[in-house]
Amino acid sequence: MLGMTQRIAVTGLGTIAPAAIAPIDRFDTAGLSAHAAALVRDFRPRDFIAPMKLRRMNQLSRLTAAAARLALGERKLPAGSGVAIGTAFGTVQTSVDYMQEYVAKGAALAPPQLFAESVANAPGSHVAIEHDLRGFNVTVTQRESSALAAAMYACAQIAKGAAPAALIGGVDEVTEMVFSVLARLGALSDCARPFDRRRDGFTPGEGSAVLVAEALPSSEPLGYFSGFGIGRDTTATISDWGADDARVAAVMRAAMDDAEVERVDAIFASANGSRRGDAVEARAIARVFGDNVPPVVATKGSFGEYAAAGALQLAAAFAALRDRALPASVGFEEKDPELPVAPIESARPAALRHVLVNSISAGGGIVCAVASATSS
Amino acid sequence: MRTPDPTIRIAVTGAGIICSIGRNKDEVWRSIRESRANIAKLTRFPGETFPTELAAEVDADVDALLPIDRRAAKRMSRSDRLAVVAASEAIAQAGAFPRERAVVSTGTSTGGLVEGEDFYFARLVRGRGRTPVSRVLQQPTSGPSDAVARAFDLGGGVLSNATACASGGAAIGMAADVLRSKHADVAIAGGTDALCRLTYSGFNVLQAVDGEPCTPFDAQRKGITLGEGAAYLVLERWDDAVARGAKILAELCGYGATCDAHHPTAPHDDGRGAEAAMRSALAEAGLEADDVDYVNAHGTGTTLNDSAESKAIAAALGTRTPASSSKSFFGHTLGAAGGVEAVITVLALMHQLAPPTLRLNEAAPECPLDYIPHTPRPMAMRAALSNTFGFGGSNVALLFRAVSS
Repeated sequence: MLGMTQRIAVTGLGTIAPAAIAPIDRFDTAGLSAHAAALVRDFRPRDFIAPMKLRRMNQLSRLTAAAARLALGERKLPAGSGVAIGTAFGTVQTSVDYMQEYVAKGAALAPPQLFAESVANAPGSHVAIEHDLRGFNVTVTQRESSALAAAMYACAQIAKGAAPAALIGGVDEVTEMVFSVLARLGALSDCARPFDRRRDGFTPGEGSAVLVAEALPSSEPLGYFSGFGIGRDTTATISDWGADDARVAAVMRAAMDDAEVERVDAIFASANGSRRGDAVEARAIARVFGDNVPPVVATKGSFGEYAAAGALQLAAAFAALRDRALPASVGFEEKDPELPVAPIESARPAALRHVLVNSISAGGGIVCAVASATSS
Repeated sequence: MRTPDPTIRIAVTGAGIICSIGRNKDEVWRSIRESRANIAKLTRFPGETFPTELAAEVDADVDALLPIDRRAAKRMSRSDRLAVVAASEAIAQAGAFPRERAVVSTGTSTGGLVEGEDFYFARLVRGRGRTPVSRVLQQPTSGPSDAVARAFDLGGGVLSNATACASGGAAIGMAADVLRSKHADVAIAGGTDALCRLTYSGFNVLQAVDGEPCTPFDAQRKGITLGEGAAYLVLERWDDAVARGAKILAELCGYGATCDAHHPTAPHDDGRGAEAAMRSALAEAGLEADDVDYVNAHGTGTTLNDSAESKAIAAALGTRTPASSSKSFFGHTLGAAGGVEAVITVLALMHQLAPPTLRLNEAAPECPLDYIPHTPRPMAMRAALSNTFGFGGSNVALLFRAVSS
């Protein structure tokens, strides 16, 4: 059997990351139960995008275009390369802006350009036009797991030979509409503490990350996508995490089996500070690794939840492979005695062969990925 | 990582559909046989005025068709409900399959946007602190996959994509790869979209909507008719379907996905991306142009799509393969279209009957193909393509093959 297993090289990485979690100054949070987010600051779209093109782009498109430009530099990808972008909430703000015009001016007079930008795949479309990418083009909208699911799809396309390369990414922005709804649910904290004893909710974040994935690496890879797993915790409700750690563990193992690895050297956790979400993941990790739990890194105390629909977490995993170092788990200070696992507190050098990246969504969706240092 | 194994055949073991011409396969197919469209006055937004007045609405009482209790239904958007109704029919047909290894893959362009609009209007009046949020929780486009997975207790995973009008096709293609990579054993794949004000208004401000029922490929065509609906296929690896004694309706033998990379809303004049998608589907299936007997076209009724698509079909298949637009029956169901039209294509193969293009009086000069005007055509159909293209230039072509009964 030829090419029945394959690892897909990641040869470029671009991120527009948010600043640290801080009080929101972009919109009014008076009366809400939460007031903080990880927001992108000092982002100058003009540094990345020509002014005439900027005009047609909403913020999501701008963030994605910038991250794609950073990932690619001046490179051109081979003909037929694809695009797979993930976004949890997509173009909520543009839809709100459109409805504002609709209310003010009537259904016939809202600006057509706003409608064109109101589709969730607008960012992916702009990136394809800018870099002449005529392969597949899909925008995955599976909540917190969107970017990992996009990566799974893109790697399948490359592995089966439908595309030689792809941009894989994710983008999300913090909007007043979504923030206020999440706050009303009581899901939010002003200080996300993944796995921490005192954790009391997640904090939303925004940003974009784009990875360049290739069948044949054109430069020294940061690492390789080596495996994926997908599943669903059927005990989850619409807006919360479930409790089926056996199912979560099964998906983690499925990703490792797909990668043909028995161990990983680190876990980039999905944990974001939610009481139930962090708990089900911790128990799942203990199930899979027993007494031999690898270092666990929680990144959502830095990026916030959603932030690029998981793409910033993927970016952190590949940066760790490249730099042979694990970042600190910002926001974690005190181990929770009820959880069998705690993340690492400080950054450290680490010779990493394989890392597991978990994405466990409220609502039950689970996607796990394995990133490896070598091609076999 | 396991590569999607091209030697693994994908069986369609269930199909479900709801749109303006029927609440299920039997009703929909009867409408097709009888050349009966359902395009009428828009009623969903009483009191609001738009530049055009027609739509292909789902008239049925959707809640009465839901197989779940009222309390669970309350938290679901209309797009979710349509999805659950269609999925219910597909899953019932497929019989007993391992639910914990079944993934749901849905394409939708707006998800629960109409509920989001209601929420937005209510907030304007009551303020954000006093507007209940329960209905808007299903606004995101991940809602329908989550709703179907919850309603049928499916544990294999959830995938959603919002790739404009190509979403439903992309969802089915994505599911095929998941099955060929053995990340799951069964896939419920398709699309859903409920009519909402933003899209009804938006297509109008783009001047893409026909004031009369759409006339795809016609010299006088003026644009789309907006519709709503949902449809799902149940897909499995062929050997698994045979092993459990499932009835196989058709085979999904390949798909192609490309992007025009040309313009945010307009297709490339030459239909280059569409052509490439069709060729890619044929290549994946190991079939030639001559093996395709029918194309279920995207056929929206816009000047640009119908001419570009005709060129693409001619380039990929030649000018003799008949192609029809079933959007002439139930309008453009947007994110659902890929799913709805995949089910129509499967039904066409099962019945060896090609749906017609309704209201085609005179094909445009730039549309030189055989569009099967007015009446459905009984014909030997070995394989059929279903085309789905969207804003942002995404093109998906699904290739289905008939199974001998």
